[in-house]
Amino acid sequence: MKAKQPDHQDFIARDGVKVAFELYQNDGPTVLLMPTWSIVHSRHWKMQIAYLARHFRLITFDGRGNGGSDRPAETAAYADAEFVADAVAVLDATDTDQTVVAGVSMGGHWAALLAGLHPQRISGAVLIGASTSLVPRDPHRQVFDWDEELDTHQGWAKYNRHHWERDYDDFTRFFMSQVFSEPHSTKQREDAVAWALETDGETLIATQLGERITADVERRILESIRCPVLLIHGTEDHVQPHASSQVLAEIVGGTLVSIEGGGHLPNARDPVQVNLAIRRFVETLRPFTARPAAGARP
Amino acid sequence: MKARLADATGVVDRNGVKVSYEVYGEGDPALLLIPPSPITHSRSWKGQIHHLARRNRVVTFDGRGNGLSDRPTEAKAYEPPAMVADMVAIVDEVGADQTVLVAHCHAAMWAFMLASRYPERVAGVVAISPGIPYLGDSNPHWIEVSEHWEEDPTDPEGWFMCNPTYWRRGGYASWIRFWFDLLATEEHSSKQVEDMVGWALETDAETMVLGSEAEAPDASREASMQLTRSVRCPVLVLHGSEDRCQLPTRGREVAQITGGRFILMEGAGHLVAARHPVAVNRHISSFLADIEEKPMPSQTWTRALSRRRRALYVSSPIGLGHARRDVAIAEELHQLDPDLEIDWLAQSPVTTVLEAEGHTIHPASRWLASESAHIASEAAGHDLNAFQAIRRMDEILLANFMVFQEVVEEGAYDVVIADEAWDIDHFWHENPELKRGSHVWMTDFVGFLPMPDGGDHEAYLTADYNAEMVEHVARFPRIRDRSIFVGNPDDVVPDPLGPDLPAIRDWTMDHFAFSGYITGFVPPTPDEAAELRRELGYRDDERVCLVTVGGSGVGRALLERMIGAYPYARQELDDLRMVVVAGPRLDPESLAVPDGVEVVGYVDRLHRHLSVCDLAVVQGGLTTTMELTAARRPFLYFPLKNHFEQNRHVRYRLDGYGAGRCMDFDSSGPEEIAAAMVEEIDRPIEYRAVESDGAARAAHLIAELL
Repeated sequence: MKAKQPDHQDFIARDGVKVAFELYQNDGPTVLLMPTWSIVHSRHWKMQIAYLARHFRLITFDGRGNGGSDRPAETAAYADAEFVADAVAVLDATDTDQTVVAGVSMGGHWAALLAGLHPQRISGAVLIGASTSLVPRDPHRQVFDWDEELDTHQGWAKYNRHHWERDYDDFTRFFMSQVFSEPHSTKQREDAVAWALETDGETLIATQLGERITADVERRILESIRCPVLLIHGTEDHVQPHASSQVLAEIVGGTLVSIEGGGHLPNARDPVQVNLAIRRFVETLRPFTARPAAGARP
Repeated sequence: MKARLADATGVVDRNGVKVSYEVYGEGDPALLLIPPSPITHSRSWKGQIHHLARRNRVVTFDGRGNGLSDRPTEAKAYEPPAMVADMVAIVDEVGADQTVLVAHCHAAMWAFMLASRYPERVAGVVAISPGIPYLGDSNPHWIEVSEHWEEDPTDPEGWFMCNPTYWRRGGYASWIRFWFDLLATEEHSSKQVEDMVGWALETDAETMVLGSEAEAPDASREASMQLTRSVRCPVLVLHGSEDRCQLPTRGREVAQITGGRFILMEGAGHLVAARHPVAVNRHISSFLADIEEKPMPSQTWTRALSRRRRALYVSSPIGLGHARRDVAIAEELHQLDPDLEIDWLAQSPVTTVLEAEGHTIHPASRWLASESAHIASEAAGHDLNAFQAIRRMDEILLANFMVFQEVVEEGAYDVVIADEAWDIDHFWHENPELKRGSHVWMTDFVGFLPMPDGGDHEAYLTADYNAEMVEHVARFPRIRDRSIFVGNPDDVVPDPLGPDLPAIRDWTMDHFAFSGYITGFVPPTPDEAAELRRELGYRDDERVCLVTVGGSGVGRALLERMIGAYPYARQELDDLRMVVVAGPRLDPESLAVPDGVEVVGYVDRLHRHLSVCDLAVVQGGLTTTMELTAARRPFLYFPLKNHFEQNRHVRYRLDGYGAGRCMDFDSSGPEEIAAAMVEEIDRPIEYRAVESDGAARAAHLIAELL
């Protein structure tokens, strides 16, 4: 069972693509949890929702291509700009004037774009293991071409469209073993593989072909971010190097929390630390207000 | 001694009234600590200054009427506008553009007036038990006091002693004692009451009358509402639920009107900054962090299973005694777990030993206030009231605890090893939510004991301190994960901890594991001893008497006494050579000696000399006397007068070993001492053997927690 059920579920539709969102009501400030690459859907936030929803108004949505959202076949539907526009549409549909945005991996990339492009809507951004085109991928990810037919399908050679077509299951198991590099991560890998199997290889290939913004544009948008930014990144992230967040933190003037020994999805693998960090971050954004507290003598 | 001395002091003079201030540390915003004068002065912030001044410039002052400031003789001089003008003059003079004001009781009124009138100068106000008239509930006692203010009471009691006529008749001190006893609603507050009474008695009845009458001349609910409403800066209100001066509903309304944060300290009285300094300091620090809006610094959190095992070793710096045993334990711990990282939070003189052995000293150690200097400052001649010295070290222990707490919050230590680190044990029991990691508490004595000179009062105080310890341990057994007594059950005195308290030995048996004694070295075999004597330059045809007073700087009197005894001893022992070790703190040149006596300064590894001497003369400290016992050397020891540990705990233990001859300093002249030397130097040694596996046993007890 889920730890917490949403108070409201609905869809937005843009250009005929329906995107499912969920809202957890609360009087506190709003936090928007972005989708990430459509290999998973909003359940990747499952360890955050019950906790954050006790303190904040929370919005999640399934990225197009997985979960309760449509799985358009055309690659244009998966451009960076579409995910950012979906987020804005979800904010509109929930009457959210301003929110803190949080995103993991690709979702971190989109969260940063959202903060840069819609400064009046975003009061703070949390970027976790965020993707960026400004830092080259680790060497082990640069060996094999994604598009070409390879003569091997071992290791990162599985990150290849032809392998996805032939044996999507095998790819997802491999990929999630890389996402969760931490020992004793069986449950997290199992969860993520199951979410990956809610979509298929064809859809994932389409997401991969969606239009990405260029490095130059990304840099300009990042430089325009004015809101506070919290970055969280594992030092053992085998998917997106830890250096990415160091570079991003430098550009946006953000605070980097490094998780020594942590992999690519610390929100799933080290949820307590991530939950506390997000809450602390959101609370520091609030102006100093009366907050009754009682300290008891022993 | 104070935990920290001011970096600058000054005086502002307004219309001929001089007000004295002090400045500590640096960093913006500056903090102005405002005492509710004239009943107290700047020292009432002694628990806050060291902590706050590590990050911010702290300014405090003696309000007119007490401390080093003038005591003007007309009421007008004490009215709030005068107080506010003094504060403005001080922050102007020290060049503080913006300050956070921290004020207690009726001084909160002055703070709000300053914040209201000069909003650009005030970044925030911390109001502790704020005394803003008519807000919240008024204390009915104060109303009664004001109704009878003009009367002449006969033999008043309690609140009726708060009366100018009675004060002028000589009743001021009685009122002050009653008053602070009443305010300290918490058990075990003797030191705080004593401090407060002392500061209040630095002023006089006449000044108190003027100050009281000037406190709030135009008070009304409307005026108070208007004042608090006009404060625009962030406000933090701290208030004890048991406050008998300002009722907590007053603080709550102050917070409501100012939109401030209200923190109720449940079970606390009026003197929260003095009695609950750890909590108050942390609330002030987090308030500062909130209003400074500094971005969160980048940081690393290490996954649990990616962490190396880490220990923080805190070795008591009072004398050098503990350093060697702690190093021995640390070495044994490394034997058990070579990957264990040990950081030392330590200060001089312990750091001298640690540095020589290549241990890692935590950089925060530089912030520690000197405990050994305090102890030295408490000694006079051959006299050191150890209990009172430790008790008067409250400010230093608190300062060092605040440093320690930051270290454990950042360090992810698995275990804290506290060898008689009183601050950690005491303040973790007082603030149990702050505990981090496992806690190993080590000591070589249990229980404060009164000395006869201290009379009934000292007996009451020691029993009160012991009672607090017993209650702490009973209520929070989770604070001491392992208690290690450095010694054996037989070493523990059977004396009671106090009236209606258990016997020390029974209680210790119930609550401690025993490591046996830990000397930190293995005594030489007879062959090794002969070799060592040659190496150290002691001949076979001479008998060497070593006189040493340790590294504490307390002990010139004994050295001089022994030098005086030498000629008499020499008459009986013509091969007697006396080596006087002055230690690092006494100048060897300052001691005049006859032929046959030599004076040396600091001696490296003194225990090697002690282990081969023919006779030693020492004070009554446990480390040195037990080193002699382990090495089976004859010795005379002179416990410091009024030193409960040396006179009772150590002596009891040595008697158990049949070791040493206890001497009374006051009644032993040169001839008596010489006679004792002659008797002891040839006495066959029949001491009970001292075990040599104590460090290993202690390390095993600690390692079980790792």
